[in-house]
Amino acid sequence: MSSDMNDDGLSRRTVLASAAAAGATGLAGCSSLTGGGTETDAGMSEIELLHAWSSGDGNAAIAALIEGFEEEHPDVEFAEEPVNGAARGNLDQVVSNRLQANDPPSTFQTWPGATLTKFGDAYADIEGEVWTDDLKENYLPGPKAQAQLDGTYVTVPLNIHRINNLFYNTAVLEEAGVDPESLSSPADVVDACAAVAENTDAVPFAQQTSGPWSTIQLWETVLLAQAGIDGYEAFIGGDGDVDQVRSALENVVELSEYYPSDASSISFTEANTMVMEGDAAFIHQGDWAAGAYSGDDEFNYGEQWGQVTYPGSEGSYLLNMDSFPYFDNNPSPEATKTFLSYCGTTDAQVRFNREKGSIPPRKDADVSELNAFQQDQYDDFTSADSQPPSIQHGLAVSPEIKTNITSAFSGFLEDYDADATAEALVGAFE
Amino acid sequence: MRNPIATLRNRWSDSDARADGGEPASTRSFFDRDSVRSAPFWLPPFLLVGLFVYGAVVWNFLLSLTDFTGIGEPDYTDLDVENYFVAFADPVDGLLSTVGLGGEVQGGSPAWSELTVEPVWNSLGNTIALMVGFAAICLALGLVLAILVDRGIRFENTFRTIYLLPMSLSFVVTAKFWLYMYNPNTGLINIALGAVGIGPVQIVQNPDLKLGAVAFALIWQFSGYAMIVYLAALRGIPSSHFEAARVDGASTIKMYWRVIIPQLRTATVSALVVITVFALKAFDFLFSMYGGYQPGPSADILATRMVREAYANQNWAYGSTIAVILFVMALFIVAPYIYSQYRRGEL
Amino acid sequence: MSTADTDARLKRLGLYAVLVAMAGFYLLPILTGLFTSITSPESYTGQSPFLPPLEPLIAETGSLSLQPWGNAFDGLARGLANSFILVIPATILSGLFGSMAAYGLTNVDWRGQVGIYALFVAGIFIPYQAVLVPLTQFWYNVVPLQSLFAPFAAFPLVQAYHWKLVALIVTHTAYGIPICTLLFRAHYKKLSDEMIEAARLDGASVSTIYRRIVLPLSIPMFAVVFIYQFTQIWNDLLFALTIVQFGDASVVTQELVGIGVSQAGTNFPLRMAAALLAALPTLVVYVLFGDKFAEGVTA
Repeated sequence: MSSDMNDDGLSRRTVLASAAAAGATGLAGCSSLTGGGTETDAGMSEIELLHAWSSGDGNAAIAALIEGFEEEHPDVEFAEEPVNGAARGNLDQVVSNRLQANDPPSTFQTWPGATLTKFGDAYADIEGEVWTDDLKENYLPGPKAQAQLDGTYVTVPLNIHRINNLFYNTAVLEEAGVDPESLSSPADVVDACAAVAENTDAVPFAQQTSGPWSTIQLWETVLLAQAGIDGYEAFIGGDGDVDQVRSALENVVELSEYYPSDASSISFTEANTMVMEGDAAFIHQGDWAAGAYSGDDEFNYGEQWGQVTYPGSEGSYLLNMDSFPYFDNNPSPEATKTFLSYCGTTDAQVRFNREKGSIPPRKDADVSELNAFQQDQYDDFTSADSQPPSIQHGLAVSPEIKTNITSAFSGFLEDYDADATAEALVGAFE
Repeated sequence: MRNPIATLRNRWSDSDARADGGEPASTRSFFDRDSVRSAPFWLPPFLLVGLFVYGAVVWNFLLSLTDFTGIGEPDYTDLDVENYFVAFADPVDGLLSTVGLGGEVQGGSPAWSELTVEPVWNSLGNTIALMVGFAAICLALGLVLAILVDRGIRFENTFRTIYLLPMSLSFVVTAKFWLYMYNPNTGLINIALGAVGIGPVQIVQNPDLKLGAVAFALIWQFSGYAMIVYLAALRGIPSSHFEAARVDGASTIKMYWRVIIPQLRTATVSALVVITVFALKAFDFLFSMYGGYQPGPSADILATRMVREAYANQNWAYGSTIAVILFVMALFIVAPYIYSQYRRGEL
Repeated sequence: MSTADTDARLKRLGLYAVLVAMAGFYLLPILTGLFTSITSPESYTGQSPFLPPLEPLIAETGSLSLQPWGNAFDGLARGLANSFILVIPATILSGLFGSMAAYGLTNVDWRGQVGIYALFVAGIFIPYQAVLVPLTQFWYNVVPLQSLFAPFAAFPLVQAYHWKLVALIVTHTAYGIPICTLLFRAHYKKLSDEMIEAARLDGASVSTIYRRIVLPLSIPMFAVVFIYQFTQIWNDLLFALTIVQFGDASVVTQELVGIGVSQAGTNFPLRMAAALLAALPTLVVYVLFGDKFAEGVTA
């Protein structure tokens, strides 16, 4: 094998993998997924990180994170491998193939929480080594619970996107005579939509319905707002009250009257653009919607657009997170733990979230470097009474149950039958 | 059908070979056998097809008997037909719902899942509805077009070219076009409906219309194909048949109905086989139209269900099971066709 | 003029009216897409998408712009390149193998050929779904194609991710062989027996006959087969979705599905431009070689 070594003692394979990482910016964009980490010798294992942030703000965020890590740990080799153009489901597919070949990567981008059950046996306990007392003290209970699989710490949450937002176009609401701050329940949102419909030409509630995910998000938010944190947690625990579930669905049915008429033919980005261009008043989305706004110099937070916690869900911060788990049989045990520990620091989280548009999960972060909207969100987060996990975004229920929920909503999008869908949703846990 | 001259000529060449022999006849005859001498030609492609098509079909069947859910290696030591019981769970209600009469269908809970897994009745019903509706209209439209084009028209080539044009497009492209056509605001369909005072109508997510909308788009794409097949068949009918019917004083419609259409049976069967198999493949269209694996229950067909179970839900073994069901359906359509081709000596 | 004459004329007129209306039915979705795709997104209203963008001549039709095509090209360029890398070898290989199989099963006569041939024909109709899971297993977990391919990435213009396209080429070749065999066999049955017989008597071997006589006579059929296969493979989504799955090796149909679902700044002009751009190669083939295309699909 020595003939394969170059002067630095790195195998050709390692060089290829590093070239792949560097190639993200150039032509050599490469998704080679063969295990770089397992084949180096001299104990200098390198970290192999798989992720799907191959473009846009996600790519900038992971680059910033790695830059920070390499500044602090110049001795640890790093082979970041963006699975280019991948969606999260594809990434799981890659990891599944790798686990099948008994060749796990060091870590990869995954939703924490119930999604962890998918590769449950493949993870290992990192309490103590990574999850130190410092982390345990500074993560709020919600995110901390999501880092555990059956009570064992196996992953490090890196960022939080909030789901229970209501974004609005200020000018449209002014024209309609609606004060967003005055809304206090999901029913108020419906009334506000009616006012918009009556007083303006704009679409009251921008939404896409060609795929179920936006509607699931909306419904889970409404459920949280109407049934409260107890009702919400009962549902995700498999013990939901069918009346509460139905009532949330009925609210969504009412809202659907105010969707764009071509909601079933458009995508989320088109719906979001409607708000930006003043063609729509409200949109309910995760706070990545604000990422698109910040790209437009003439559409500013607090001036042209604003955000309120989805009416009725004040006091809760509905979580969508990404995290890096630790695999048993790790190709680079020490280096991976060093990296995961770094991801648990405020420095790492601020670097990452500044680019990503989300907020740090630690409560002690200095967020002065984040933008005004993120700072407001962070204030909401640290002062929230509860941090429930999102159903749509894989934290609250196992992938199998989520499959049933998605399937129930694909039917809901056809007939908006709240009764039947409520039965199906409560039955999704059986 | 074997070509008699060819057979004869092989006899000759075989006996020639033996006559001038010198080597033992047995090896000689083996290496000189035409099957062996032609093997370098048919064997490599046959091995490729054998491995990737038939090998994969057999492997897929094996997988359908496992509990494979994507973690670790599939366990081939523990095979059972449980997945088929799950797929066809609750057969009475299932069959009723397939023909649109049933209510709730109870799913089964297989060993690989803690939850209830839905049987295939719904997507099976949609598949059959799509196949029958799409194929029938496609053939009827194709036949009418072929008869019209066959009436000695000018610009025949131009018309034919236009009618067949959509066939050159990908399902993915067709779906993008029709998603646009069906848009309630800007779609041509609703503009047309609006012109006669109807609408606008929601089509894409409408449970009553979406499968029909899919079928309609597929008819747009493939009826030109049926036309071309029928046109070729019409051209094959001797003009004396047309004239004889005319002399008998039959009207045009009667002539076609009584004399011409019965002669199009072969064309109908071959077009039907191809078109139904296209319908089995409509996955690409639905995936593109609904931007993913979830077309919704009213438009869910076996082709989408299979890919969703395997690739989105990682229920690989169950996906394989649905694939076997699809394969058997295709076999039911194709086997009689191939057999009849064989009987008529056209293989 | 007699009433019968008028009647016949009216009928004729009616016939043409129906034919033209049907032409409209087949063309309108494509034309609407085309007109929308050359409308500038800012001026697009969707009020009369079936009219070309003629602002300021006709109000509400939008103004002409090639920007959607530019954006569509940016979005699809990589997929287009990958599709060509896939389609050209797969088309040639499946055509060549199909011709060989047809020759081996037609012009050389032996007993088992009908059985083998029946398997080839049945292969045409097997739904892809029936083999997807094994294919995914095969390419990802059985054949270490990715590492086998790694050394080739050192060659110019070859990227490590091209291994997925190699897997796809092999798969499409295998699945294309049955239909190619069918097309060639129909052709070979019509070839003159005398010529082959004469060559045989001259002592030409099976392979010489193929190279010297059959192959040159197959050239028109190769055109048909290549056009058919090019269209089929270019248009496929399912194999790409399950074998390439995602990433740099994505082909154009995959990229096209994504446009409009995930691409920021999506709008109908962009979607239509992308759809037409993805369809352009097959449309060009169709317009240039329409007759051969028809011959291929109706075989």
